[in-house]
Amino acid sequence: MIPAKKLLNTLTEHWGMLELLFKRFKMADFSLKDVQNAIKQKQPTWSNERIYKETNRLLNQDIIIPLAKSSQLEINRAIADFATFLLQEEHLGLAQEITVLVDDLARLGDRLDNAGSIEDYDEMRRFSRIMDDRVRKIMKLFAHNENAILNIVEQAKANNAVQSLQKRYQAVIEAFDEYIEPMLEMVDIRGSFHACFNTIESQISSQIESIERSGKAYQDKRMLERLRTRILEMHLVGRESLRKSADMLMPLREELRRNNMITRQAAKVLGLVRKNGVDNMLTAVQPNFVSDTQRFSLGQQRHIIAYMAALAEFEHSEYELPDQQDVPSFVTPNIPDYHNVKANFKKRFNSKRKKPQPLLTFLGESYPGLEADEMLFLYQKLVSDSEIEISQSDEKMRVKIAGQHFSLFPFNTKPIDSKPVVSPHTGNE
Amino acid sequence: MTQINLDELSHLQAINKKLVTGYHISEQDTVMWQELDQQIDAYRALFSALGHDLQHDSRGFYYFASDESTPNMGKISRAIALTIYILIEHYANSGKDPMRALFDEVSDLELMQTLVQMNKHLFDQLEIFSGSDLRKDVYLRMVRLGLSREVETGFMLQAPIYRYIDALMEVNEETYIGEDE
Repeated sequence: MIPAKKLLNTLTEHWGMLELLFKRFKMADFSLKDVQNAIKQKQPTWSNERIYKETNRLLNQDIIIPLAKSSQLEINRAIADFATFLLQEEHLGLAQEITVLVDDLARLGDRLDNAGSIEDYDEMRRFSRIMDDRVRKIMKLFAHNENAILNIVEQAKANNAVQSLQKRYQAVIEAFDEYIEPMLEMVDIRGSFHACFNTIESQISSQIESIERSGKAYQDKRMLERLRTRILEMHLVGRESLRKSADMLMPLREELRRNNMITRQAAKVLGLVRKNGVDNMLTAVQPNFVSDTQRFSLGQQRHIIAYMAALAEFEHSEYELPDQQDVPSFVTPNIPDYHNVKANFKKRFNSKRKKPQPLLTFLGESYPGLEADEMLFLYQKLVSDSEIEISQSDEKMRVKIAGQHFSLFPFNTKPIDSKPVVSPHTGNE
Repeated sequence: MTQINLDELSHLQAINKKLVTGYHISEQDTVMWQELDQQIDAYRALFSALGHDLQHDSRGFYYFASDESTPNMGKISRAIALTIYILIEHYANSGKDPMRALFDEVSDLELMQTLVQMNKHLFDQLEIFSGSDLRKDVYLRMVRLGLSREVETGFMLQAPIYRYIDALMEVNEETYIGEDE
């Protein structure tokens, strides 16, 4: 028997090397040379002789043991388990392990109950101890499996993308199907696990009660109480741990399922696109983008040409032709016949020619009903008529005809011996 | 009633300029993304008053939702969709995890050439005839829309690509627009 302290010292001294071996070879075997290389890697300054001695020490202390009928070596199983615990490199256990322990717990519970009923307190204490041990084991398994699942998840996430998805997630799927699902079934509120614990709990409670009543073996009461608490706690811890594990695995499983779906869908869509054409197939579903720059700017030359063409035909608003009834109907000017006017004029001015008479005064007196423009029209006619002798005054005058004021150099009837000047100068006010 | 303090929206101009061009602001645009994240209520109220529909996708990007595209933009969008779907198929065929590869792998010119060669008749419909056409017409446009970013050796796709994945899941025979319609 190797003293534990000695073993621990060796382990401490060579932990780096052992960790290396453990990680490199997992649970597989290795040769003596591998061990020496590992030592050399960790302790490059050591001489070959020293390395040889240290290797022998590891072998002598059964830390590394030779495989049966082979020159290969392996790490002592107990040390390996210890290392997995320390490094949290745990591998997922079986759901059955826990099931077996729980069944055993139920069996022990029955025997404890029997021992209690026949007041065999030594037996009761013994079973209580065994049960306690089982409960600890189950709790350890829960913790262990939770760590293992964490490792699986991490590995699946960190694995190289080059690997196919199926391969990468194989461990995840296995973990889910082989551990989580049976375990969830078991801890289900209607499952066997729950029923079993209920029975055990009521058995222990009744034992505690009878001890309290009888007053015998009073120190055993505390032990039973502790056991009951531990079992309740185990149940709780188990549920918690499973929930956590499921939470970690679920997203990955979903991801896998979704990825498979996406791949299948992509293949299907591309098939449809090949058959029906890109635009026909994808127009309805394509994501749309806001593109104000395209909408509000003239990017290309053809846009600018189109814009300028539009400018050339620019109308501010639709031009509307006026309706028929909106136009005022044509009123013939109310002008008396010119020949009458002329005759009138001659008749009036032929007799008395002594003094020049203003033409406009004559028109204003003779035709008071005329508008100003009509009056001026007649005035213009008379002035330009060569048959009538008239002369223009040299002084500017302001005349009022038909409500309008005019300033002009007025034409008058021609007095004797004056020359006619034909240049009317009228100005509207 | 949301109180909008314009002084706090220090990147409003930059954000607006990006979003109105159809750009998707994702976590890689650290400064703008952070500000949007912190002031989302103010920005949402402000943009909706301006007639824009600011959307936040929980996969990590912001964009303006739109019901329709300009014809040119529609064509670009279809080209991007086709490229993404072909990429997914390509990665799946080469035994990779398509979704992971889509976001983790760099698309270089060689890959683009392979894609175009292998799907010639599909890309022909979009007037993409070579790897460099694909780069110019699809990848550079994706950069402009914030769907991908340029890296040393090529392009990396970004989270807004999920809009196309969503669209992919929507495609079925019923979305087919026949010639007679």
